[in-house]
Amino acid sequence: MRDLSSILPLVETAGPFNEVPEEYDPHDSLLSLATTKILVIGAGGLGCEILKNLALTGFKDIHVIDMDTIELSNLNRQFLFRPEDIGKSKAEVAARAIIARIGDDNLKITPYFGKIQDKPREYYRQFSVVISGLDSIEARRWINATLMALVDEETLVPLIDGGTEGLRGQSRVILPTISSCFECSLDLLSPKVTYPVCTIANTPRLPEHCIEWANQLQWPRHFPDRKFDADNPDDVDWMYQMAKTRADEFKIEGVTRSLTLGVVKNIIPAIASTNAVIAASCCNEAFKFVTNSNPLLNNYMMYSGDESIFTYTYPYAKKDNCPVCGNMPKWVKAERWWTLDQFIEELSTKQEVQMTRPSLTTSSRYLYLSNPEELEKLTRTNLSKKLSDLLAPGEEIVVTDPKLPISMKVLVEFVGSEVDPEFINK
Amino acid sequence: MVVIDKETRYDRQLRLWATAGQSRLEHSHICLLNATPTGSEILKNLILPGIGKFTIIDNRLVTQVDLSSNFFLKREDLGTPIASAIQHNLSELNQEAQGSSIIKSIEQIFAEPDTFWGQFSVVIVSDYIPHLKRLIDILWSREIPLLIVNSVGFYGSLNLIATEINVIETHDPSKLYDLRIDKPWPELQEFSDSFDLDKLDDTEHAHVPYIVIFIKALKQWKIKHNGQPPITYQEKTMFRNLIQSMSRNIQLETNFIEAYNSYHRAFQKTEIPDSIKSLLFTSQERKLTPTTSIFWVYVAALHKFVSHNNGQLPLPGKLPDMASDTNNYIKLQKIYHKKALQDQELFANEVYSILDTLRRPREEISRESIATFCKNVQLLYVTIGSKYLSNDKLVEELFRDGDSTSSLAVYFGVLTFNHFVDQYKRFPKIDDLPQFIHLFTKMFGQANPLPQSIANVFQEILSHNTRNYHNLCSLMGGIASQEVLKLTTSQYIPLDNLFIFDGVKSTSERFKIDPL
Repeated sequence: MRDLSSILPLVETAGPFNEVPEEYDPHDSLLSLATTKILVIGAGGLGCEILKNLALTGFKDIHVIDMDTIELSNLNRQFLFRPEDIGKSKAEVAARAIIARIGDDNLKITPYFGKIQDKPREYYRQFSVVISGLDSIEARRWINATLMALVDEETLVPLIDGGTEGLRGQSRVILPTISSCFECSLDLLSPKVTYPVCTIANTPRLPEHCIEWANQLQWPRHFPDRKFDADNPDDVDWMYQMAKTRADEFKIEGVTRSLTLGVVKNIIPAIASTNAVIAASCCNEAFKFVTNSNPLLNNYMMYSGDESIFTYTYPYAKKDNCPVCGNMPKWVKAERWWTLDQFIEELSTKQEVQMTRPSLTTSSRYLYLSNPEELEKLTRTNLSKKLSDLLAPGEEIVVTDPKLPISMKVLVEFVGSEVDPEFINK
Repeated sequence: MVVIDKETRYDRQLRLWATAGQSRLEHSHICLLNATPTGSEILKNLILPGIGKFTIIDNRLVTQVDLSSNFFLKREDLGTPIASAIQHNLSELNQEAQGSSIIKSIEQIFAEPDTFWGQFSVVIVSDYIPHLKRLIDILWSREIPLLIVNSVGFYGSLNLIATEINVIETHDPSKLYDLRIDKPWPELQEFSDSFDLDKLDDTEHAHVPYIVIFIKALKQWKIKHNGQPPITYQEKTMFRNLIQSMSRNIQLETNFIEAYNSYHRAFQKTEIPDSIKSLLFTSQERKLTPTTSIFWVYVAALHKFVSHNNGQLPLPGKLPDMASDTNNYIKLQKIYHKKALQDQELFANEVYSILDTLRRPREEISRESIATFCKNVQLLYVTIGSKYLSNDKLVEELFRDGDSTSSLAVYFGVLTFNHFVDQYKRFPKIDDLPQFIHLFTKMFGQANPLPQSIANVFQEILSHNTRNYHNLCSLMGGIASQEVLKLTTSQYIPLDNLFIFDGVKSTSERFKIDPL
């Protein structure tokens, strides 16, 4: 039988930094560990570590959600998986592996093989803490907004979020409505590298330009009805050959299969070490939160290991124009000559917006609705109209996206000329 | 049996250290003293990416506390030798890594001849071992890096003890390009002269690479300014305006917009960075011998290269992307590449002549290694380590901070914890605080009364005196394994040389213990 001997000394006595020494009771702490329902989102690089850490620090009721299946390239860090598990559900295999190794009848791990969005908002109310180890920004925004929406007199579910990229990462504690939330810091994320279409189409210089030419321009032309599948080796080969031909034509060197895959899949380097550091930091916060043994991280720790070892811990400030935890509108600049279409294009790619299918409404009218289909048709005509003609002065726009439970209030500051400057020059 | 495609399995790490790093990793042999949870986690993080061999040394049997905190122990391992149990369970992670276990105490290991240690690339000590100083002396004299990783309660520390660390592939994130715009060599000047800006049509004009724009603008500027480049802020602004005036439409010509925005590149001086200057200086004092490491042979060759080539470093030859048509960009790329290859050739000859004088075979080095050195020549990293865990300066720093928030109290608490174990053969408890402080004072002197901030940290350590809190073990294991990866792949810059993690406050600090 595995006992709690390794963690008992942490809860038996309150230390000098304990924030509630008067009320602190070791029995409560132990009871709390044994009964707390904790949700782990993601059973990948961070998730495997998180599940192991929780199981070895006294948590007994763990739930885990992951929609992915195991791939060969996961095995360099996701230590709960073996080659024979390839193709199986990460959540299910991870849960089984932990249960088998820990061998404690009182430990319950409940896996769910699916998306977090499959579950209704109320499902999340049962948890005392949520730890996320996700690589998807959209999923993190979704869970962040969902936990924020749950807040009432009885419910406040902290979100402990970890993320890694190569030898760097960060962990943070989000107390919905109290500290800054994931949405507040969207602009902290490193933006995805993009290349101008005219470079890709006309003046390629880098191997990446040739790969994007194959990916963005050639694939849709050759296979209009089928999306590229990065997990299908035939698809990847086609893409690689196409990019290689283009590169040879322009005498550009450096297109390889590995680079092709990296660009089209947007692959982020990942190793076990960084995941171990970030997952352990997240679980240390979960442990402190549940046991009340020591103060919580306030509220953001960035970690970097590529040049010596460096961490920076600071309270990331709440933003009052955050669409999730604030109530003020965001100011966005727009050229006077922009059409609604141009405005949507600019807005949706902004670092702090990042929406794929935004819908825009004002209190008086629908500007553009991306779904359902009938309403899209009805509002499509607005796209070619000038934004400045569609808006009353000072009118607020509400921006939503079907994939996110967020409505963003936007105020437009018009700048520049009434006419497209490029048009004048021609 | 599933056939494993290594390139795919290791894809996510090859993007960090490439096949050269991977190959070095696969030839490494890592030794762990003390089969703690921290130690198992370190090895886990190294076996997964594919180290060659690992050896665990520990003569203890598995106890309840071990089982409670170590994922790589099974219930049935209770009471069996811990080193072999962990080695067995870790081996499941990757068939490529060969594990072995030695069920002996540190004293028994010391009975072996010192050559025993020669098989290891890195040695790791987790938590307390007796005779640590003796181990440090042995490894120091054999130039084998040693990591000492400790975890107590919510605290952790890591020392990296190495005589010297040098790194060629530092992966420095600052985008430094050596473009030589201020000193174009004949081919580059010729290429620039081949553009007659006034005769180009609008499309061509908007696709002239900014390197050419800068070379032309600088030439024009120098004619009017006694051959001097822009120096003062005012002159630099005027130069920027000159670039703008060369454009036909600064709103639309992306190449001129780029040139305008990155105008600092135009007067980036071609000179040797200070860090490399001091490296060259140090190399003069070093006597080259038949056993001098290749790194210092390269630095000596660099010294000669620089004196034979007008004080310039070998050209790395890397070009940033810039607005241009394909043809001219590729031409420019070739000009830089050709010059880089010529420099590599000249540099290789300097290396050969040194090797010849030392009567060492030229086969010791490869063309790839020459190229790697030249491409990274501006960012070489060297540091001299310390074999001490503490010195007067560090103690002074601890007390100077007085009641501030320095993490050094954590580190001295950990050191004292190990001294306590050494002396009393058990962990100190909160009741032992007076004795603990007494021991601390005896070891490191000073301070009566002890500043409250230090006393608090000591109290925290003794209140929560477990060395097996898995979260801290896993965190320190992650950090220590990362340092082993840097040391074995010879890429990225390792810790120099003390790291302290405070899991109460979720902060960390690093310090350099000076070589005495």
